[in-house]
Amino acid sequence: MRSLNYIQRVSLDFTGTLFPHAICLGDADNDSLNELVVGDTSGKLLVYKNDDSKPWITRTCVGMLTCVAVGDVCNKGKNLVVGVGAEGWFHLFDLTAAAASKADSSSQHEFLASDDQRPFFTQHIPANTKVLLISDIDGDGRCELVVGYTDRVVRAFRWEEPSDGSDLGSGQLVLLKKWLLEGQVDSLSVNPGPEGLPELMVSQPGCGYAILLCSWTQQDSSGSGDEGPATPGSEGPSRDVVLHLTTGRIHNKNVSTHLIGSISKGSKEESSKCGLFALCTLDGTLKLMDSSEQLLWSVQVDHQLFALQKLDVTGDGREEVVACAWDGQTYIIDHNRTVVRFQFDENVNAFCAGQYTCKEGKNSPCLVYVSFNNKIHIYWKVELERMESTNLLRVLEEKPAFKDHLKELGLGKNCTSAVQELSKHNVESITWVNDYAEDTAAVRALVANILYKDSQT
Amino acid sequence: MLGESYPFVEESFSRFPSQSNIYGLCQAGQQELLAATLKGKVVSFRYQELQQKIRPVAKEIQFTYIPVDAEIVSIDAFTKSPPKRGLVVGITFIKDSGDKATPFLNIYCDYEPGSEFNLESIAQSCLNLELQFTPFQLYHTEVHCDDGGSETVFLLSGHDQRIHLYKENVSLHQFEEQPVERLFPELQQLPSNVLWLDMLTLANGQRISAFGCQNGCIGLALVNQTGPEVLKSWRVQFDSPISTVLLFPLSCQIEPNQAIGDTSLEVKSYNLLVTSTIEMAVVYRDIQECGLSHSVCLSESDQWDAVLCALVIDLDFDGQKEVLLGTYGQELLCYKFSPAGGGQFQLQWRRSFKSPVLSIIYLDLTGDGLRELAVLALKGLHILQHSLTIAADLVLERLAQRVTALTASSDVKSAEAPHTEGKDATAKRDLCAAHTTLN
Repeated sequence: MRSLNYIQRVSLDFTGTLFPHAICLGDADNDSLNELVVGDTSGKLLVYKNDDSKPWITRTCVGMLTCVAVGDVCNKGKNLVVGVGAEGWFHLFDLTAAAASKADSSSQHEFLASDDQRPFFTQHIPANTKVLLISDIDGDGRCELVVGYTDRVVRAFRWEEPSDGSDLGSGQLVLLKKWLLEGQVDSLSVNPGPEGLPELMVSQPGCGYAILLCSWTQQDSSGSGDEGPATPGSEGPSRDVVLHLTTGRIHNKNVSTHLIGSISKGSKEESSKCGLFALCTLDGTLKLMDSSEQLLWSVQVDHQLFALQKLDVTGDGREEVVACAWDGQTYIIDHNRTVVRFQFDENVNAFCAGQYTCKEGKNSPCLVYVSFNNKIHIYWKVELERMESTNLLRVLEEKPAFKDHLKELGLGKNCTSAVQELSKHNVESITWVNDYAEDTAAVRALVANILYKDSQT
Repeated sequence: MLGESYPFVEESFSRFPSQSNIYGLCQAGQQELLAATLKGKVVSFRYQELQQKIRPVAKEIQFTYIPVDAEIVSIDAFTKSPPKRGLVVGITFIKDSGDKATPFLNIYCDYEPGSEFNLESIAQSCLNLELQFTPFQLYHTEVHCDDGGSETVFLLSGHDQRIHLYKENVSLHQFEEQPVERLFPELQQLPSNVLWLDMLTLANGQRISAFGCQNGCIGLALVNQTGPEVLKSWRVQFDSPISTVLLFPLSCQIEPNQAIGDTSLEVKSYNLLVTSTIEMAVVYRDIQECGLSHSVCLSESDQWDAVLCALVIDLDFDGQKEVLLGTYGQELLCYKFSPAGGGQFQLQWRRSFKSPVLSIIYLDLTGDGLRELAVLALKGLHILQHSLTIAADLVLERLAQRVTALTASSDVKSAEAPHTEGKDATAKRDLCAAHTTLN
């Protein structure tokens, strides 16, 4: 297993404690560059920007923040920051204005702007929140807000405002539906189903997951649109929850499980139907599946995986699965099950991965670790050229120009094809092997000769 | 400027169970590394080909006669000078049984035909020598014998202000200590304990030796190997212990924009790089002519704590060598030589590591002709690979140049280029045959 040591990191100051879902990366101020949003247990919402170790913006919320998110909750084409407390207080912040005022007002006027520090909208929703998702879950092209609770309930909300009201503050969250699950919900995610429609997925203990059906869409199509939201849960929760247990090793049925969906396959068309999702458990199982329940791979590790993310580290458009353990061991696995490991040297309080603008003024893939020593460490240069170990000859073999040049220099044979040939016909003549070995050595010597002046040793 | 031109991508990192030191890394064979860690463990590192994929393999090698309570000081390995064959590994360690610490030198070498290069087998055949001094650097160099052949020997510096020579006794088939002054007259009457030693054999058979001492003294000597006889020698005093000395040739092109392979206008000079624990690293230029009088400082090299290791290699494939320094302050520094303006070394990039950089080696681990940089840090071994995309583009570009040069000069035999091309195309097979026999 290839293991790596990432070096380039910045350390941010963070005093306090946080819940594992109270951290996220997103474009909080709509400048197309991502920020890091963190909520702590005292209700402080901190937004970090670039490599500045101090928070760029601090906001105060009511209660313990259990989850934060960045997204277009109000469907205005503009990202807002959401902070939800355990007590059920939902806070909405618009940081675009704050960014503008921060930019043009000099710093000594900052304390005057205390009015802006308050959220522009708060609402009380049921308490005991745990996880948060802002995404289109019913395929109508508009974002919904999904909240998972510690009491095994998931609720979906939609932002609605009076049709005449142009002011953002006049709207409110309206409950769409409530689902009751059998086990704890550790993650919420959306994944394209086999037909290409988004499916709301939640993780279930024991490496299981459940698909929550958005029943209001059927009611919408049947015409009685207003009735749906008014009678949540009246049909009984079980009908709208489709539980899936994955096969394989016998799991501890109660082991905490995480899930992430919509893992990009590279091209948009491919990703939109039959999406990929990954599961991980605290006892070290990792799985990649697609929405037709086909298992792509499964990996067993001896680390307690507590966080699961997706990140394109190779820059090829395909997202890798990133799982982090309490002790800092981090696994990055691609769709072909190639594993790269990274050991973060401390115990991890919370983890997330994604695009963040740290240095160089552009988004880059980052790994974010919250330690227990009042620091958040962001590894900002985690990009890899490729996941697998390889050498120059293999890279050159893929270039047709290289073979042409070799032919002209009298080194015609193609090493890769020789290898494939050999593996196909196991019992080949010795001369074949010799030819191949000799050819590789010759090409190797040629490459060394081309690159190094003193290679005649 | 910094970070932009850093040409490497980390290929792999192997964590070690205990720390290593500046004498803890050596090349064993063509594509393999040996790293010694303090608590008596030796790890071999190489790339293994499996199912058409290559993967890094770090494996502990069980060298015999290293007791559990031993602490390894230094490790070195060499392949015997032809016509002899085989890999020789030397390991010095201190066995501390509580009341009295005893130093040892173990030399591993398998004489069984067929297994001279098999590390597992070599590790089993041990010559155990008790030392009367605390060992430091274990070094090897090739010496010319009286009969005209050459032989590789171990040189071990110790805290007794002496350097000890270990040479193979042909009749006994084993290594033994021999008086150092017979072959190395320049290594007598040393001013202090030698911390680092380096030697270079010139084309004319002469040898340049350099050593750096604990008291800050640098010794440099030009030796005629037949005799042997010290032709010239120089000494210079630094203010702090010397961490490394490194001899290297440097070629200055009179006209920089010449075609590749054209060496007629190059002026080759020998240089000595000296790194000390407190002061700036210094390069003494053209030592054959100027001795230790023409020095160039490597600015800022004292900014990241003591410099622990150094390497001079061509990192960017332009034919001009760069100086790499690894520091206790967890930095790897790269200096580029600029022949213009008096020949200064300018800091080109630096890269941080997670622990102090102890030792660096540049070798082809992956077997593709492109070399990798192995960096031994306190916590483990980093393998840094050149960006393959960039390297592949460069190879293609230069290959295309060669092909056009070949086709252009196929009928006109004028330039030197077809000579090299011809060698590439046909003599490569001989060359690779030589490679395979070496392996």
